[in-house]
Amino acid sequence: MPYFDDIELGDEIGPVETVATDDGVASFCEIWNAPQPNRFTDLQAATDSGMPGLIVPGIMAMAMMGQLLTDWAGPNAIRDLDVVFRQPIPHNSPLTLTATVTDLRRDDGENLIECDILMTGVNGERYVGGKAVVALDSRS
Amino acid sequence: MATELEYDRSLHGKEHTAGPFEVTSKMIQQVNGSLGESNPAFTSESAAQEQGFRGMVAPPTLCSIFVREVALPDVGVTFGRTQMHAGQRVQPIAPVYAGDQLTASSHLKDVYAKTGRSGIMVFVVWETTFRNQHGDVVAEVQESFARRE
Repeated sequence: MPYFDDIELGDEIGPVETVATDDGVASFCEIWNAPQPNRFTDLQAATDSGMPGLIVPGIMAMAMMGQLLTDWAGPNAIRDLDVVFRQPIPHNSPLTLTATVTDLRRDDGENLIECDILMTGVNGERYVGGKAVVALDSRS
Repeated sequence: MATELEYDRSLHGKEHTAGPFEVTSKMIQQVNGSLGESNPAFTSESAAQEQGFRGMVAPPTLCSIFVREVALPDVGVTFGRTQMHAGQRVQPIAPVYAGDQLTASSHLKDVYAKTGRSGIMVFVVWETTFRNQHGDVVAEVQESFARRE
């Protein structure tokens, strides 16, 4: 795990490349009993609601951004994850996840870093933006 | 907007509850499978315990899945024809473990208008507090929906 002491403003977490597959989305929707039919697993429902194709649920996109941060800082490190959905996220298409450190501070005895988070597509699409706060240990 | 937003203001201060929901290890494993999650604290009880957790940990955004279980009333916003899920926020406060029983309590946090590049949008924000079987708050989740013309 990274130490707070080693982090500087502008440091980048990632990039991590991932894909939301049809099977992955279907499995994720099954867990939360998504209403059927829906824009995530039913092409007709997606096109009827004006989507270009099947899309990734917002809470799954959020989970992907969370994974970027827990892989980097540990399972219990996220203090705040505030995700903005900017445009529909397609299935089966490469997604790039990054976070950029924008602030470093101590608060309530914790070492906190704040970062801007971003999920982009192959043609520069900015699917997801937002902010996160992550707690890190210090060396001392 | 020049005119005051029309919506059901009597909803402010009302709590809407649901649960308990059990967080099962099967559910955590299915989330892991759908995301390609391999963090040992989320995938193995013994690995989680080696890291000092009392059991298999749920990924920190998992509570979001249960927000849909709360029957939320119509806010009665008259503005706009289409609605989209605009944002989601999770503030994890304590670990959620496999076997935990969570309850949810939601209230209307905010309704506001904002003018962006594509015109006026009205945002409706719900806030949900999740507690475990010990009464400890484990997460605060906010969901915002944007309505546009």
